[in-house]
Amino acid sequence: FTAVVAIKWLTDGEEEQPLQAVLVADSFNRRFFPISKDQPRALLPLANVAMIDYTLEFLTSTGVQETFVFCCWMSNKIKEHLLKSKWCRPTSPNVVRIITSDLYRSLGDVLRDVDAKALVRSDFILVYGDVVSNIDVTQALQEHRQRRKAEKNISVMTMIFKQSSPGHKSRCEEDDIIVAMDSKTKRVLHYQRTQGLKKLQFPMNIFHSVSDEFEIRYDLLDCHISICSPQVAELFTDNFDYQTRNDFVRGILVNEEILGNQIHLYVTMDGYGARVSNLLMYDAVSSDMVRRWIYPLTPEANFTDRKGQECTHSRHNVYRGAGVSLGHGSHMAENVLIGRDTSIGANCHISNSVIGSNCTIGDNVVLDRAYVWNGVHIASGAVIRQSVLCDGVKVKERVTLNRQCVLAYNVVVGPDISLPEGTVVSMHHPDEEDEEDEDEFLSDGADNSSNQAKTKLKAFSAAEVGAEGKGYIWRPVKQDDTEDDELVQCLWGETSSCITTGVYAVFQTEVLGTLQRGMEENISCDNLVLEINSLKYAYNITLKEVMQVLMRVVLEFPFQQQGPQLAAVQYCALLLRLLKKWAPVFRNYVKRAPDQMDCLESLEEFFLEHETHWGAMVKVLMELYQLDILEEELIMRWFSDGVTSAKSRQLRKNPGLLKFIQWLEEAEDESSEEDGQ
Amino acid sequence: MELQAVVMAAGGGSRMMDLTYSIPKPLLPIGNKPLIWYPLSLLERVGFEEVIVITTKEAQKEVQKLLLTETKLKPDIVCVQEDADMGTADALRHIQQKIKTDVLVVSCDLITDAALHEVVDLFRVHNATLSMLMSKAHEFTETVPGQKGKKKAGEQRDFVGVDDSGKRLLFMANEADLDEDLVIRKSIMRRHPRMHIKTGLVDAHLYCLKRSVIDFLAENKSISSIRGELVPCLVRKQFSKFSSLQKNKEEPNQNMKKKDANTNSENHIASADDDLLELALNRSCWNDHRGDMCGAYHGGKLRCYVHIMEEGMCYRVNTLAAYIEANRLASKLFEEPAIHPSAVISERSVVGSDSIIGTYCQIAEKASVKRSTIGASTTIKEKAKITNSIIMNGVTIEEGCNIQGSVICSHATICRGADIKYCLVGNSQRVELAPRTTEEIVPLPFTDPALIYASF
Repeated sequence: FTAVVAIKWLTDGEEEQPLQAVLVADSFNRRFFPISKDQPRALLPLANVAMIDYTLEFLTSTGVQETFVFCCWMSNKIKEHLLKSKWCRPTSPNVVRIITSDLYRSLGDVLRDVDAKALVRSDFILVYGDVVSNIDVTQALQEHRQRRKAEKNISVMTMIFKQSSPGHKSRCEEDDIIVAMDSKTKRVLHYQRTQGLKKLQFPMNIFHSVSDEFEIRYDLLDCHISICSPQVAELFTDNFDYQTRNDFVRGILVNEEILGNQIHLYVTMDGYGARVSNLLMYDAVSSDMVRRWIYPLTPEANFTDRKGQECTHSRHNVYRGAGVSLGHGSHMAENVLIGRDTSIGANCHISNSVIGSNCTIGDNVVLDRAYVWNGVHIASGAVIRQSVLCDGVKVKERVTLNRQCVLAYNVVVGPDISLPEGTVVSMHHPDEEDEEDEDEFLSDGADNSSNQAKTKLKAFSAAEVGAEGKGYIWRPVKQDDTEDDELVQCLWGETSSCITTGVYAVFQTEVLGTLQRGMEENISCDNLVLEINSLKYAYNITLKEVMQVLMRVVLEFPFQQQGPQLAAVQYCALLLRLLKKWAPVFRNYVKRAPDQMDCLESLEEFFLEHETHWGAMVKVLMELYQLDILEEELIMRWFSDGVTSAKSRQLRKNPGLLKFIQWLEEAEDESSEEDGQ
Repeated sequence: MELQAVVMAAGGGSRMMDLTYSIPKPLLPIGNKPLIWYPLSLLERVGFEEVIVITTKEAQKEVQKLLLTETKLKPDIVCVQEDADMGTADALRHIQQKIKTDVLVVSCDLITDAALHEVVDLFRVHNATLSMLMSKAHEFTETVPGQKGKKKAGEQRDFVGVDDSGKRLLFMANEADLDEDLVIRKSIMRRHPRMHIKTGLVDAHLYCLKRSVIDFLAENKSISSIRGELVPCLVRKQFSKFSSLQKNKEEPNQNMKKKDANTNSENHIASADDDLLELALNRSCWNDHRGDMCGAYHGGKLRCYVHIMEEGMCYRVNTLAAYIEANRLASKLFEEPAIHPSAVISERSVVGSDSIIGTYCQIAEKASVKRSTIGASTTIKEKAKITNSIIMNGVTIEEGCNIQGSVICSHATICRGADIKYCLVGNSQRVELAPRTTEEIVPLPFTDPALIYASF
């Protein structure tokens, strides 16, 4: 009898361990720049509620009793927000402890600190501060504990996924993953991001386990919620090169045989869980929120229990806060959320949008998929589609924002201007970043004054932001120092890039000169490469830019020689001869896949400027393909993914190009078939 | 006639040469029935009236006799030369002229109680190009003569990928053909985001094939085996879009006529749906998948399906182990009495109900037969003990023999007092032993698993 009691007491003791969570309120990347220059990502409003509040609500409702919030970038703001929130009231069932340090550079640093401070006592939940979810993890937690009990310390992590088929709008290409798992034990055997891959490869050794049934799943959305054992923190300490969870998962899976640790997964069918990792996801999650997919987290629930957040819900998912005024003839079609004290003028048409509090919207405004934060002024006649307008933005009369525009804090645009697709405007000058360099993580209030002084020196471009506009256009710039040759994405989560002009003009003329001389004096290709290389060092130009410039120079070469009125046919003949002659030069610079993409992009850019010569483009592509400078796969990728503007879309409708692409497609299909045989 | 049945019975049985060197594989006795009887009766059971049997010259007569006496099927026997090294696909190509409709191809070594309509229904419902039968692999429990210890698991596994419904065949590869990685195209995963990869399956070698596949075979002479080449090829072709167009470009050197024929057959194989069916599909809200807005089958015309038996019996008798296992279970498949009425069994002998006794057998006094199959005209003399064994036709087992877990082929003679455990005794062999008096002294030589041939 005593033994029974003792056992019961022991198991009870285990159960009573309060559930802990580690919430990382920093993304450790710059995907939300320039928005996150002024506000940390965790505090950005999603359906008028800061994202971190959703994460905390999810943790609390799933039974977490103690949460460690780790902040780094703008930690003061997060701290201030949390101290005011309901989570820090004495009645809160979930005790929130805020830990700030400027030294965190990655998730790895955070977990190493968790280990060093011995914060966790048992299994804990690991989430980011931008996860929106209503998943009940109890079941997953139970399975995790059972596994841990059955096989001591073998399973270290249970990752939570949501089933969602490819093409679902909450899945963005960038976060797509493929998972190979053991059907019976739910063990993860292989985990890989699939962006840019055409063929998925699974090492054979993952199939060597005793099981005879495996599943390969491409229908999973990573919720970025993981149940971790305390070992996870220790493993991060042991492996100081683990920076992200991805590193960790890969490390565990690859070293499974050596270390004997395993990772399992839990798939939820009906819960909702997604990480707002870019603006595309922001758009998707916001609209899911308004459409009530994340019930019981709905806008009118006011779960943050804050004054002034209340709103009413009426049919077609229209939510209105207190004090909203709506002008005559204005129509809120569906899925609209309007915050407190916002006034809307007459004859507006609003659909699928979220509007914050204290906004003023003029007459005849059209908003569709617009995310308008607080204190925004939109003057009459504006048309805004799928864009984000941060706090304090002013949109003047008759401004049109095309898809995927971002106006960061306090920007003013207009009047009478149309911003092209994907425009990002911020009060911060894009070059600030370079000047600040590494310090930006550390200090943010300190050099603000000096920065502002600097920015004031640079004038706003009226052509870009309108006559009364205030703000600088941000162009997505590729960073060369990113690891793993990862393509750096713009804010909206699509791959794109463009060259920065200016410094390279000089380099370009030099290259042109070299090539001209090469032509006249018949210098061998090896020597040309040598000369271009020395120029590269002289002007401190990256290899990528060399390629872009080289492509451009060669394409312009016939014009340089024969004058700009050259007809397409002659141009083509001249150019092909040049390409053939200088093929070794190209081969020297265009080697890897990213090089080829760059090459194609500069090619496209050039031909976008020379509409009359589109016919030549196909011939050039064909020639480069046949000279083995470009591979078919990359041409295909460029063709399908590289659309940056309306005009480039038009370019892709060129019948010659379409024919060429079709030809390639067929050739490719054949070759892949032969691979298989 | 919806389907024509073809039984492939020309295989040499290369994986069990010990048995097939004297008896052609289709005629190997299992539960006192020739092996080929099983697929034939399966076909007869589901209502086939005609059958094409492809076999060798050697077995032709016997097979013909069997078809006439044991079944009501109207046979059409086609002979192929055994030494011609013909594969199953070659054989199918050989009888191209005879095939007017879609075909059901069965191997002669299949013993199953599968519900055949499951396979055919998949074929009909999805208007599939190929549908096939697979089963969970069975562990063989019996000890196999000549095989020490457990068979090692080192055999090459087949990787079979099916979609979430478990019916659509998406991927097929043998471990031997895969290098370091298993490669799957992302486009397949996009259409079928949840793929189940199964390894513990045996292919029953039962296929429903569209008529157009036969034409395809006629054009592609390089394909020689159904399982090894044709099926993987069809499975792959499900997801290649421009198969007909690319041919034109890739084979510019071949003469025009050949090329055209090729293109046609590829087109043919792909456009299995006729116009009316296509119209029906377009107008219907039915779909074979969920998760995206594409039409049924994502517009693919070539579809392969598989029915995987979760339970029930499904054996391919192509190894000695399978042969022994099949003998043990065969009696469940037919209703005839286990002991043939013409057998003469002494009242004082013991014959277990789990044994099968063939025609004109003689079992003498005090003999005991348990869990065994005794072929026709076999004589078992006094006090012989037979357990767990397969005795073929015309065998003589003399007094006091003890036979356990062995296979004794036709017309062998086991002399008195022999003690045979886990052995295979070849055709017309005579196993002689020292007289019983010395048996107690001399260690018995046959207790080890071994194969006994003429050398004994």
